[in-house]
Amino acid sequence: MAPARDTPFRSADMSMVQLYISNEIGREVVNALGELGLVQFRDLNGDLSAFQRAFTQDIRRLDNVERQLRYFHAQMEKAGIPLRKLDLDVDTLAPPTTTEIDELAERSQSLEQRVSSLNESYETLKKREVELTEWRWVLREAGGFFDRAHGNVDEIRASTDNDDAPLLQDVEHHISAPEVERSFSGMNIGFVAGVIARDRVAAFERILWRTLRGNLYMNQAEIPEPLVDPANNEPVQKNVFVIFAHGKEILAKIRKISESMGADVYNVDENSELRRDQVHEVNARLNDVQSVLGNTQQTLEAELTQISRSLSAWMVLISKEKAVFNTLNLFSYDRARRTLIAEAWIPKHDLPLIRSTLQDVTNRAGLSVPSIINEIRTNKTPPTYLKTNKFTEAFQTIVNAYGTATYQEVNPAIPVFVTFPFLFAVMFGDLGHALIMLSAALAMIYWEKPLKKVTFELFAMVYYGRYIALVMAVFSIFTGLIYNDIFSMSMTLFKSSWEWEVPPDYRPGQTLTARIRDANYRYPFGLDWRWHGTENDLLFTNSYKMKMSIILGWAHMTYSLCFSYINARHFKRPVDIWGNFVPGMIFFQSIFGYLVICIIYKWTVDWFGTGRQPPGLLNMLIYMFLQPGFIDEQLYPGQKQVQILLLLLAVIQVPVLLFLKPFWLRWEHNRARAKGYRGIGERSATSALDDDEDEHQGNGRQSGEGVSMIAQGLDDDDHDEGEGHGHGGHGGEFEFGEVMIHQVIHTIEFCLNCVSHTASYLRLWALSLAHQQLSAVLWSMTMGPALKMTGIGGAIFMVVTFAAFFFLSCVILIVMEGVSAMLHSLRLAWVESFSKFAEFGGWPFAPFSFKQLLEESEELKEYLG
Amino acid sequence: MANGWSVIIGLVIVVAMSIAAWFFSPKGENQVLWRSSIILSIASCYLMWAITFLSQLHPLIEPRRSDLRKEYIHH
Repeated sequence: MAPARDTPFRSADMSMVQLYISNEIGREVVNALGELGLVQFRDLNGDLSAFQRAFTQDIRRLDNVERQLRYFHAQMEKAGIPLRKLDLDVDTLAPPTTTEIDELAERSQSLEQRVSSLNESYETLKKREVELTEWRWVLREAGGFFDRAHGNVDEIRASTDNDDAPLLQDVEHHISAPEVERSFSGMNIGFVAGVIARDRVAAFERILWRTLRGNLYMNQAEIPEPLVDPANNEPVQKNVFVIFAHGKEILAKIRKISESMGADVYNVDENSELRRDQVHEVNARLNDVQSVLGNTQQTLEAELTQISRSLSAWMVLISKEKAVFNTLNLFSYDRARRTLIAEAWIPKHDLPLIRSTLQDVTNRAGLSVPSIINEIRTNKTPPTYLKTNKFTEAFQTIVNAYGTATYQEVNPAIPVFVTFPFLFAVMFGDLGHALIMLSAALAMIYWEKPLKKVTFELFAMVYYGRYIALVMAVFSIFTGLIYNDIFSMSMTLFKSSWEWEVPPDYRPGQTLTARIRDANYRYPFGLDWRWHGTENDLLFTNSYKMKMSIILGWAHMTYSLCFSYINARHFKRPVDIWGNFVPGMIFFQSIFGYLVICIIYKWTVDWFGTGRQPPGLLNMLIYMFLQPGFIDEQLYPGQKQVQILLLLLAVIQVPVLLFLKPFWLRWEHNRARAKGYRGIGERSATSALDDDEDEHQGNGRQSGEGVSMIAQGLDDDDHDEGEGHGHGGHGGEFEFGEVMIHQVIHTIEFCLNCVSHTASYLRLWALSLAHQQLSAVLWSMTMGPALKMTGIGGAIFMVVTFAAFFFLSCVILIVMEGVSAMLHSLRLAWVESFSKFAEFGGWPFAPFSFKQLLEESEELKEYLG
Repeated sequence: MANGWSVIIGLVIVVAMSIAAWFFSPKGENQVLWRSSIILSIASCYLMWAITFLSQLHPLIEPRRSDLRKEYIHH
C-alpha cells in the first residue's frame, strides 16, 4: 500500500534518475532545478581533479568577478558607504542569461579599473596633501624658532666675545650693519628642518647627540593636530624639529640620520621674506591639492554609491552562477553527441514536476533535442528525505541532531512532536512560568517576519525553536494545573476533598490532621490544594511523582517499541517481529508492565478501609527476582503464581531474543543457496547506458565512463548498505558469526536497558521536584517577606522585591530550569525512546537548491538583509 | 461525582475524542502528523490526569500541618 504522496511519517520515496541534457541548455536546466531544489546530483567525475573538469574555466572567471565585487565591498566599507542589502523575501531575482552574466563580468572589470585608478590617484593626492601640510607646519614652527633665535644672535655672539677665540669676529664685521638681516649662514651655521613622529623623537635626539658628539642645537615643537599617514590611514602625532649645526658634513650627516629615522626633511629658507613667500606658495598648492582631492573623493564615492545599490544582487547572481557551474562539473559530457549526462536522486513523487520543468526549459530554448529524464533501477541506499514545514522544522532538527534516520523507517520525529514537549512539561510544571513562556512563544510567532531578521545568535536559536517553545508552554500549562502550582502557590479551583479534623480544645500551633470530607468525592483535577504547605507535602508528592515517572516512562517506551513493529513490517522482515519485537515486548511487559499494573492496582484499593497493610511495591519487585515465590505482604491473591509465571516468561524471552533471528537468517540463507540463488551484490551491474556502449564502441570513451561510474557506484554501495542495515542477509556474503555477535549485543543491551531506562525516567520526578522547590524558595526569599510588610516602606520594598522576583523567575526558573528540563527531555527522546526502534543508518538528502545555498552561505550573509 | 468511576468515564471520553481526532484531522500530506500528535497529546494528558486522580483516590497519608490560623481551620 504505497501512499499516494510522501508524508512526514517516513522519509520520501526516492528514485535515482538519469538526465540527458543538450549541452547548450545545461546551464539553464541546472538553474531551473536549483530554483526547484529537489534534485541531488551525484558526482560522475569522481576520478577527475577539480582542475580537469569541464567548467573549471567558467568557475575561475566567476571567482574573479566575485573577487572584484568583494573589492568594491571593501572599498565601500572604507569610504563608509552603506550597502543596500538584498531581502530575498521581497526581491526576487530573475535567472540571468549568459549574456547578462558576461555583461556583469565586463562591467565589474571596468568598474574595478576605474575604482582602483581613482583610488590610486586619491592616495597619491592624499600623500601630497600630507606632505604639504607637514611642510606648512615646518615653515610655521621653524619660522618661530628663527624669529626667536634672531633676537638672540647678539647674545650668542656676546657669549663668544668673552672667550679668547673670537672665531667669527671678522665675519661679523662684514655684515655688521644693523639693518642687514642677521644670518646664521653668516655665522657658518646651517640647519635642517623637518617632521618626525613623536614617539621617535627621543631616539632621534639620542642618536644625533651621540653621532655628532653634542655639536648641535635642536629645537622642536609639537604639531597640535594629528597628521594622517596615507599608507594606512592612521593618525600619527608628529613633531617639527629644527636642528642647527656647524659645517656642511655635519649637516649632511644630520640629513641622513633624519631620513633613516623616517623623518621628512623640508626645505625652509631662513630669510623671513622668502619664507613668507614659501608659506604662500605652500598654502596655494595645498588648496589646489585639496580641491582636487575633494573632487576625486566625490567621484569615487559617487561611483561606489552607484555600485552599492546593486552590489548585493550581483553577489547573489554570481554565487548562484558559480553553484550552477560547480554542479555542471558533476555531469559527464558525451562529446560525440554533445550531451550532458547527469545522475541524481529525486523524490519519486516529484518526478512529474521535474520532468515538466525540464520540458519548459527545453521549449523556451527552442531546441529540437528533447531533454530526457529516466528513472533507473539501483540497489544503492537512497538518501533520507524528510520534508518539513516551519512548524515541524525545529523538531526534525533536534532529531536529526542525533542522526539521520534510515531510509523509509518510521520518522523518529513523529512521537517527538508530542513526547518531547510533554516530558519537558512534566519537569517544568508551573502555571505561572508556563504562561510567561507561552507569551514569549506567541510573541515570537506573531512577529515572525520582523524577528526573522535578527542576527543575534542566541536569540536566533530561541527564535528557531519558537514552535517547540509554544508546544512546551501549552503542555506546561496543563501540567502546572495538574501540579496545582503557580509560582509555587496553589490554586483553590475546586472544593478540597479534605477537611481539617479540629479538636474542640484547639489552640493555634497545634498539629492538625485532615480527613476525607466525603467518601464519594475526590479532588477532580490535579493535586488537592490542601496538600500545599503541609508538613508531609513532599512525602505525598514524591511518592506520587515517582510513580507517575515510572508509568509515563513505561508508556513512552512501550509506544516507542511499537514503532519497531511498524518498521519490521514495512521492511518486510518478519524475523524482526518474531525475533526482536515480540520477545522484547513480552520481556518488558512481564516486568515493568506488571509493575505499572501493580502501581495502579494498589491505588485503586482502599487499604485502610479493608483493614490491610499496603505492600511496598519496590520490595515486591526486588523479591520477585531474588526470591521468586516469596511474598512479603500480599497485594492480591494468587500473586505468587502470577509472579513466577511472569518471571519465567521474561527469562524464556532471553534465548528467543538471542537465537531466533540469527538461526532463522542462516536457515533462510542456506535454503536460498540450495535453490541456486545468489546475493544481489554478486550479480553484474545492469545500467541504462549499456546499449549506448554497443552503439558507440568506437568513440565510446565518454559513454563508457558513464557506465563505469554506475558500475563503480554499485561496488561501493554494498558497503553502504551493509552498514545501513547491519543485519547481514543483504547483499554480499552472509556471515553467521557477525549476525550472532550483533544479536548478542542487541539482546544484552535491550534487557539491561529495560531496567536502566525505566530508572532513567525518575529524572521526571527529580526535576519537577527541583523546579517546584526552587520556585518555593524564591518566593519565600522575595515575595514572602515583602507581603508581610505594611505601610509606605512596605510598598517600596514590595516594588523592589517584585522586580527581583520577576527577574529571577525569568532567568533562573524559566530560562535555566527550562534549558535543563529541555536537555533531560531531549535525552529521554534520544536515548530511551529512539533506542527502541530507530536505526539511524541513513544519509541525508542534500538537494541542489539556491534557497539553501543562499541561506547557509557565510560569505553572503553580509549582503542579505 | 468525582469518584473512582471518573477514570473510566474519562477514558471513554478520551477514546471518543481520539476517534474524532482520527476522522476530523485535516486532510493532506500532514494528516498523519495531525492524527498522531492530537491523539498522543490527548493520551498523555489523560494519563497524567488519571495518575494524579488515582494517587489521591485512596490516600495512605493525610495532610498534616500545625501553622494554621484560627479563622482558616474550617475553610
